[in-house]
Amino acid sequence: MELSFLLLVIASLLSLITAALIVVVRDLVYASGLLALLGGLTAAIAAILGYSLVAAFIIIVYLGAAVMFIIITVSTLGGGGREERLIPEGLMVGLLTLLGLSFVFFRAPLELGDLPANVEAGRVAGELVVRYAPLLAVLFAALAATIVEAIAVARR
Amino acid sequence: MEPVHAVIIATGILMISIAAFGFASSKNLIRQLLSVEVAFNGALLLLLALLAANPSFATLFALLLISVVTGEIVVVVAILIAFYRSTKSLSSEPLEEAMV
Repeated sequence: MELSFLLLVIASLLSLITAALIVVVRDLVYASGLLALLGGLTAAIAAILGYSLVAAFIIIVYLGAAVMFIIITVSTLGGGGREERLIPEGLMVGLLTLLGLSFVFFRAPLELGDLPANVEAGRVAGELVVRYAPLLAVLFAALAATIVEAIAVARR
Repeated sequence: MEPVHAVIIATGILMISIAAFGFASSKNLIRQLLSVEVAFNGALLLLLALLAANPSFATLFALLLISVVTGEIVVVVAILIAFYRSTKSLSSEPLEEAMV
């Protein structure tokens, strides 16, 4: 077994355990901290799969801005009172989702490329600027809106 | 399907299912937001595995997805703060009652 595949399996298992802890742990501050760990593990998996640019973007934008914003907000607000849990309903929805997605993704004739992927950062940057310029505009608009919204929230 | 694809797709599907459980089993809006974020991480893994045939496009699509989700988080958190100020609670029950 290759080392990269072993690392991929370990990171996948850890991310599943972290995801389960996020939805069951009682303290929401710990849960939002675990979300940061899950984002880091997702970035690690992306890097193992060859998507180093995506991994860097997850760390910088998603963890550095979005998840930190959630952690700070949850720490400030607290848990928001006693939490009511509906375990049977949740289990039913979770199982139905699992069955539905498994049926779709493992039964469908998918044409999958090789992994780890060979992503050239220069080529991606060139395509982003030349071929997908509207996408770049959307990226800028989304991140600018995020900053404006965060400032508006902070000033209230 | 190769083992690498199987591991990634299974992880993504399980993560989205865990998120669905977390979203449906709680009435706390913060827990529901965290569950949606878990689903986002699973969806990102699925996207990276399914679009591996065109890695440049997968990278660009992932960057777009992350940016949009970041904006979505900030907007939702702002709504949660405003909701908490008006109701002093983060339970979704007042919203459900208002919808009835």
